[in-house]
Amino acid sequence: MTLLRSINNRLHNYMAVPAIVLFAVFFLYPLARGIGVSLTDSNGMTAPHFVGLQNFFDFFQDDRAKQDVRNTVLFALGSAPLLNLFGFLYALLMDRPFRGKAAVRTLVYMPAVISPLIMGYIWYFILQPERGFLFRMLKPLHGGLGDMDWLGGSNSALIVLIAVNVWQYVGMTMIVYLAGLQSIPSELYEASRIDGAGYMKTLRYVTIPMLYPSVKINVVTNIIGSLSVFDIIVALTDGGPGYSTESLSLYIMRQLYGSQTGYSTAVAVILFVIIIIPVAVYLRFMKTREFEM
Amino acid sequence: MARLAAWLKYAVAALISLISVFPFYVLLYLALSSPSRAIANGIAWLPDFRFRNFADAWNVSHIGMAMANSAIITGCSLLLIVALASSAGYSIARFAGKFNAAVLNTLLVSMMIPAIIITVPLYSLMKSIHGINTHWAMILLMAANAMPLSVFLYTSFIKLLPREVEESAVMDGCTYFSAFWRVTFHFLRPVTAAVVILSGLSIWNNYAQAVFFLQKSEMHTFPLAVAMFFQKYGAQWNLMAAAAAIGLAPAVLAFLAFQQYFIKGITAGAVKG
Repeated sequence: MTLLRSINNRLHNYMAVPAIVLFAVFFLYPLARGIGVSLTDSNGMTAPHFVGLQNFFDFFQDDRAKQDVRNTVLFALGSAPLLNLFGFLYALLMDRPFRGKAAVRTLVYMPAVISPLIMGYIWYFILQPERGFLFRMLKPLHGGLGDMDWLGGSNSALIVLIAVNVWQYVGMTMIVYLAGLQSIPSELYEASRIDGAGYMKTLRYVTIPMLYPSVKINVVTNIIGSLSVFDIIVALTDGGPGYSTESLSLYIMRQLYGSQTGYSTAVAVILFVIIIIPVAVYLRFMKTREFEM
Repeated sequence: MARLAAWLKYAVAALISLISVFPFYVLLYLALSSPSRAIANGIAWLPDFRFRNFADAWNVSHIGMAMANSAIITGCSLLLIVALASSAGYSIARFAGKFNAAVLNTLLVSMMIPAIIITVPLYSLMKSIHGINTHWAMILLMAANAMPLSVFLYTSFIKLLPREVEESAVMDGCTYFSAFWRVTFHFLRPVTAAVVILSGLSIWNNYAQAVFFLQKSEMHTFPLAVAMFFQKYGAQWNLMAAAAAIGLAPAVLAFLAFQQYFIKGITAGAVKG
């Protein structure tokens, strides 16, 4: 009885156990196994052999993979800054009082509610040449933007993917910035007004520094999200034309379907490294900034 | 000058609202158009309100079954996520210790790891536990995937709650464990709403994992069913759009229902970072 009681009294220290056990079984354990698989020639048919770092050497000889790294990085370089810029500007607007604000906020967030796969299909309906909505809408104007085969050119297809991604998730970044803005104590604005600072000065020296935690969350999640982009590309371009918009995740998935399990897992490990480097550098940079404050 | 600024504010707000709803307009336009109007040259701004599309799309696809599957998987995963993540967040936020610190750090680092790395070994795991094409395995997997973000949100939120919330219950003879379920848990509504929205949507919309682990068509979830439908009826845009619109509705309605708590719920995470 006393034993039961003493367990019961200490239970609160171990309430994270179920969560971490579940996570360990379905994430950490496969992760550890995955790093093992990346060192083999596993192909789902013959027994796998240990091949050391061969898969990683192969990666650097693989032109398609290198092209995919370029596509993925360009996509992220386009998406992450734009998402943060627009998310921040939207949040500044939403932080001011105006009628219908709640409705606008809901509308801006709405695209993020939709599966990126479906979103991809909708934009496909809009952007198809000849049959597409945009083409038909702009037809009376003859020529110009509507006549472009947006998804047919490799550069324009990448630009479309970035634009659609930014359009879809800007509400998400906006909400995080808005939450940050709303938690800035009004005394700080008051003090800055009394000191005679104008709007831009207040923005520069009060608002933005106070938003660092939100910036951190947004930048990190946007880097991770855009470097592992998948669904939206499947629906919109399927990696085409050619392989010009194929992302690394899509390549990994296709190699998996082609039973190149060892190699594709190695590419996945490389993708992880590609993600962790900017995130680590950025977090490091933010740490020194916060220290200065 | 002030008037101009006010006008500008409304103009910008109207513009961004329009940009945000434009694709929804296109979707509904197509979903309510007859086949000829959906693809014909030239455009009318209103569809011809062919509501039959919805019935047709429903009948030729297995979207009803797919939505039932999605609902089972999403609902059960959410129950599991809320129960496990809130109690973990409570323990981590309130009772410092090496174990709890290690749990939090592990989860935070894992947020940076793309799920695709683990696909292959996960597949063999799912196979060996006979979890392929089952609801229960997908539920456990989805709950596990949502754990890092959810625990992080709960932890940051609970850190901002005063300890007095549960102290009085403990004075009255509760253990800290039961005080959490009886008292503290009821203060977590905003963050629970945020967790339900964020993880619920990502589970409802999940494609990358469902495509591997739910291959049998009776087990398909909504995104898989739409992808299948697109392959089969890709040329019939009106039916495609109707099918997509049917599946979007629950996500949109759930978001509208929970959104009033949403900002409050993520604020703690956004401020404490």
